[in-house]
Amino acid sequence: MTVTLAKHQHAKYFQRFIHLLPNQLAVHDSIRLTMAFFALSGLDVLNSLDVLSEQKRSEAIEWIYRLQVRGAGPRSGFQGSTSVPKEASKYQTGHLAMTYLGLASLLTLGDDLSRIDKKSIIQGVRACQNDDGSFTATLTGSESDMRFIYCACCISAILDDWSGIDKRKAINYIKESISYDGGIGQGPGLESHGGSTFCAVASLLLMDNLTSALSEKQLNRLRYWCLMRQIGGFHGRPNKPEDTCYSFWVGATLQILGVRHLTDATENRAYVLTTQDSVLGGLSKFDTSAPDPLHTYLGLCGLSLLGEPGLQAVNAALNISQSAFDHLEEIHKIWAGD
Amino acid sequence: MSDSSEEEEISSTWVFYRDRNEWKDVTPVPQDDGPHPIVAIAYSETFKDAYDYFRAILKSGEKSERALNLTGDCITLNSANYTVWQYRREILKALDKNLWNELKYIETMIRRTPKNYQVWHHRRVIVEWLQDPSLDLALTENVLKKDAKNYHAWQHRQWIIKTFNLFDGELEYVEQLLDADVRNNSAWNQRYFVLNNTTKFEPHVIEREVDYTLKKIELVKGNESAWNYLRGILQHDGEGGLGRNKKVLESCEALYAGGSRSIHLLACMIDICQERHGADIEPESPFTIERALALCKELAEEHDKIRRRYWEYISQQLQKLSNSASQDGQRVLCT
Ligand SMILES: [Zn+2]
Repeated sequence: MTVTLAKHQHAKYFQRFIHLLPNQLAVHDSIRLTMAFFALSGLDVLNSLDVLSEQKRSEAIEWIYRLQVRGAGPRSGFQGSTSVPKEASKYQTGHLAMTYLGLASLLTLGDDLSRIDKKSIIQGVRACQNDDGSFTATLTGSESDMRFIYCACCISAILDDWSGIDKRKAINYIKESISYDGGIGQGPGLESHGGSTFCAVASLLLMDNLTSALSEKQLNRLRYWCLMRQIGGFHGRPNKPEDTCYSFWVGATLQILGVRHLTDATENRAYVLTTQDSVLGGLSKFDTSAPDPLHTYLGLCGLSLLGEPGLQAVNAALNISQSAFDHLEEIHKIWAGD
Repeated sequence: MSDSSEEEEISSTWVFYRDRNEWKDVTPVPQDDGPHPIVAIAYSETFKDAYDYFRAILKSGEKSERALNLTGDCITLNSANYTVWQYRREILKALDKNLWNELKYIETMIRRTPKNYQVWHHRRVIVEWLQDPSLDLALTENVLKKDAKNYHAWQHRQWIIKTFNLFDGELEYVEQLLDADVRNNSAWNQRYFVLNNTTKFEPHVIEREVDYTLKKIELVKGNESAWNYLRGILQHDGEGGLGRNKKVLESCEALYAGGSRSIHLLACMIDICQERHGADIEPESPFTIERALALCKELAEEHDKIRRRYWEYISQQLQKLSNSASQDGQRVLCT
C-alpha cells in the first residue's frame, strides 16, 4: 500500500494562495512575500509553474519588484508587503528574509534580476550585521539570530557579492553557537535546533567555509546529531515530536554534510505523506494538524531530496529548485562578462 | 487559530475608525497593492479600517495617545507587524509613557501569542530602556509552565540572566523542571548554560554533574537529552573524558548487564571503545574495537534499524581504525 503524493492537489493548493489568502492568514500580512515564495517555488518543485499563465507570472514579477526599496542606503532591500505607504518612506525598510525570498522568487519566475539595485541591497545587508557577527532582520526593530546570517548569505550568494558580510565575524558567531551536544542553536548558549542548524551549515557552505571553519570532529558530531533527529520523519530537537518541515531542515543539512544517504528514506517519506491532505492539497506539521503553505513547501522539498518521482531537485543550501539555481548560474555568467 | 478568535473578540464591540468622531480629522490611507497583486489577503473590514488609519498616522507622523491606542488595535489584529511595534515604541518615547505599564501590556500580548518574535523583541527593548529585569524571570516561568520548551521564552530568559547576572537560583529552577520532566531538553541545555557561565568545569563540578546525570539516566535509560549532556560535560574533563571516566564506564556496563539496550547507551559505549582504542590503557578492558563492532551490529540489526546505514558506516570506519592500528602495532614490534 504505497501512498502516492497528491501532486495535482498540492499544485491547486498553491495556485489558490497565489490568487487569494484567507483572512486567517492576515497574521502574515507584513510578510506576504513569504507566502508568495512558498507558492511559487512550491509550484516550481512540483514542475507545475505552468499552471500560472504567462501573464500571471509576469504580474507576479511586477508585484515582487514593487516591494524593492531602491537606493535607500542602509534601508535598501525588499519589504514583505505593500502595507507601509510610500508617503511614509522612512518606514519603508528592507528585511533580510524578505530580500532573500524576493530574489529567490524572481529567480523561480525566470526573471533576469536586471531591475535589482544590487549595490544598495548589499549596503542594506551590511547595515544589518551586529558586532557579534549575527544579523538583525531589519533596521526598524528586530531580533538578531542565526536565521538572518543565513538570509544575508543567500542574498550575497545570489548577488555574487560578499562585500556586505564580515565573514570572519559571522563564522565566529556560528562556531560560538555550537552546543555541547554537537548541534547548533540560534545563538551562543541556546539549545540546538534543526532550523538553526540548517541555517548555520548552509551559511558556512555558501561562504565556502564549511570544512575550514569546522574540524572533522565537529562535523562528525554534527552529522550524528542530525541523524539522531530521525524518528520516522524528523524532529527539530531531542525529545520533541516529528514534524514535516524538519524533513527539509535536517534532511538538507545532512545532504550538505554528505551523509543524507545514511538516513531511512522510506520511513521519512512515509511520515511526510501521513501529513498530506490528498483531497484539498497541502501538507501539515503533524498528521493531526491543518495544512499550511510553509509545511507544504518544506515537505515537498524534503521529499525532493529523497528523489521523489515527478518532483524537481532542489538546491539544498539556497532552498530553491535546481532550475532556478541553473538560471542563477546563467545570470552570474552574464554579470561576470559585464 | 488564536488570531482569528481575537479578531472576533474585537468585532463584537468594534466601532470602525471611520465612524469615530475623534478620528474625523484624519483621512485614511488605503493600501496600494498595485494593479495585479498576488497572494492578496481577503482582509476583514475591521482589519482594513484599522490599518488604513495606521497608514495615515505613519504618513503624518502623529505621536499621540490615540495613535498609541491605534497601534494596540493593529497589534491585536496582527501582532507580527514589526512596523506597528516600531512605531509604537516611537510613540512611547515621544510621549514619555510609563514603561512599567507597557511591561504589563506586553505580558498579556506574550501570553496570547507566546511564539511570536515581535512580542519578545518588544519586551527586550522595553526592559533595556528600563534596565529593570525584575519581572522577567517570573514572566518566562509562567510561559514555560504552559510550554516548557518554548524557544523564545528560553532565549529571553538566557538574555535576562546573562545581561543582569541573575544566575543565582537558576540551577534549582532547572532541577525543578527536570524533576517534572526529565526529557525536557531545553532544561538540560539551560543547566549547561548555567555551568558554562558560572564555573570553569573544575573536577568537582564534573564529578557532581556526572553523578547527577547518571542518576537521571537510571530513571529513563533511553533519554537522549541526558546522554547528550553527559557527553557534553565530559568534553571538559581534562582527565581523559568519556573513555576514562570510571563511573561512566561502570554505569554503562551495569546498564548493559541489566538488560538495557537503549540506543544512546550503546552509542555511548561505542564512543568509549573508540576513545580508549590506541590510548594504551589497561589491556584487559572490555571496551575494545571488537566490542564496538558487535554493538554496531546490534544497533543496525535490532535496536536502531532506522539508522542501520549509519551504524554499518561506523562499523566500516572502526574496522579501518582497527586495521591501521594493528599495522602500527607490527611496526612497533619490528623496531
Ligand atoms: Zn514545522
